[in-house]
Amino acid sequence: MSIHVPDIVWAIINFLILVAVLNKFLYKPVVKMLDDRKNEIVGNLDQAAQAKVEAEKLKEEYMTHLQNAKAEAQEIISRANKIGEETKNEIIAQAKAEAQKVSAKAQEEIRLEKAKALAQLRDEVASLAVLAAEKIIAKSIDINDHEKMVKDFVKEVGEIQ
Amino acid sequence: MFGAKAAYAAEAGGDHGPQILFNLFGLPVTSEVTTTWGIILILGLASYFATRNMKRIPSGIQNVMEYAVESLIKLFAGVMGEKKAKRFLPLLGTLFLFILLSNYSGLLPGAGHTPGLKAPTSTWSVTLGLALVVIISVQIYGVKERGLDYFKHFVQPIPVMLPMNIIEQFTRPLSLSLRLFGNVYGEEMVVAGLFALVPLILPLPMMFLGLLFGFIQAFVFTLLATVYIAEATETHH
Repeated sequence: MSIHVPDIVWAIINFLILVAVLNKFLYKPVVKMLDDRKNEIVGNLDQAAQAKVEAEKLKEEYMTHLQNAKAEAQEIISRANKIGEETKNEIIAQAKAEAQKVSAKAQEEIRLEKAKALAQLRDEVASLAVLAAEKIIAKSIDINDHEKMVKDFVKEVGEIQ
Repeated sequence: MFGAKAAYAAEAGGDHGPQILFNLFGLPVTSEVTTTWGIILILGLASYFATRNMKRIPSGIQNVMEYAVESLIKLFAGVMGEKKAKRFLPLLGTLFLFILLSNYSGLLPGAGHTPGLKAPTSTWSVTLGLALVVIISVQIYGVKERGLDYFKHFVQPIPVMLPMNIIEQFTRPLSLSLRLFGNVYGEEMVVAGLFALVPLILPLPMMFLGLLFGFIQAFVFTLLATVYIAEATETHH
């Protein structure tokens, strides 16, 4: 274990050369790159934070819009429902009235038809009776008297009915 | 067998003086110096390729080097705050990387007894050189940061402490350099000894420990340097 001055001198010279070399090719570029990257990341984070705030604001806005639109849609639907209900009731009422009208008319017609049929029937029965009687009595009675007699009879019968 | 081990240890430890390969600018170049150059080359090339074409999203070697630098900054920031950590990163970060690779170069096969390959930190001269750089930097940055105020701490908390505080400035590089050198050298000696006894498998656990100790010693040296500089440049008093 001994000291050799030339070795010390060499060690110092070599070390200083290495410091210079590494400073130029390692420390300066790497530190610069690290700083640049750090700044970029900080900038990006700031931007991201800002974008997030903006997005939050937009979301809030859209939510309000959506809420409004929903309320409006609800209103439109309920109004349409109301209108539909009203229209339905109106149509039903109209149909009912129409049906009643038709039914009344039909009943009236039936009544008239019945009366007409009855009158016709009466006439027919009378003439049939006369015809039958004629055949039985064989022209013994004057046709006019006979007819009158039968008519009275039929009338009687009709009254009983 | 004992004789062989002793010879091995002597060769690895360099007790017979440094092996001079050649001279450069009048300075003898030893295996430690060439290994240091290799480390400078490896770190320089790795850094160059890591930062040659830097991407915002890192991958491959850029990721590795970024992770290393970021971890070092975090380590120093825990002691001296992020601003100072970045300011002293070249000095402290290089200390850590160089010592780590130096320690690990001792684990390479043939390290210590191959000309041109010897862990620089297994030589006291090298660790002393590093410690001197640290301690001189501490004085320079102390004065630079606090002016003449810096010398006030030599007479704190009481003036009687002046000699102690001055001695401390000399014991610090001694303890720094001897701790690192002793650990790496000792570790190398144990591996060499075990290798001489049973070359197969037996030195393996020690080499794994060498990985761990190599990291811990680089960490301790760097952290102490960080603490010294943080202390000297502390402006609030």
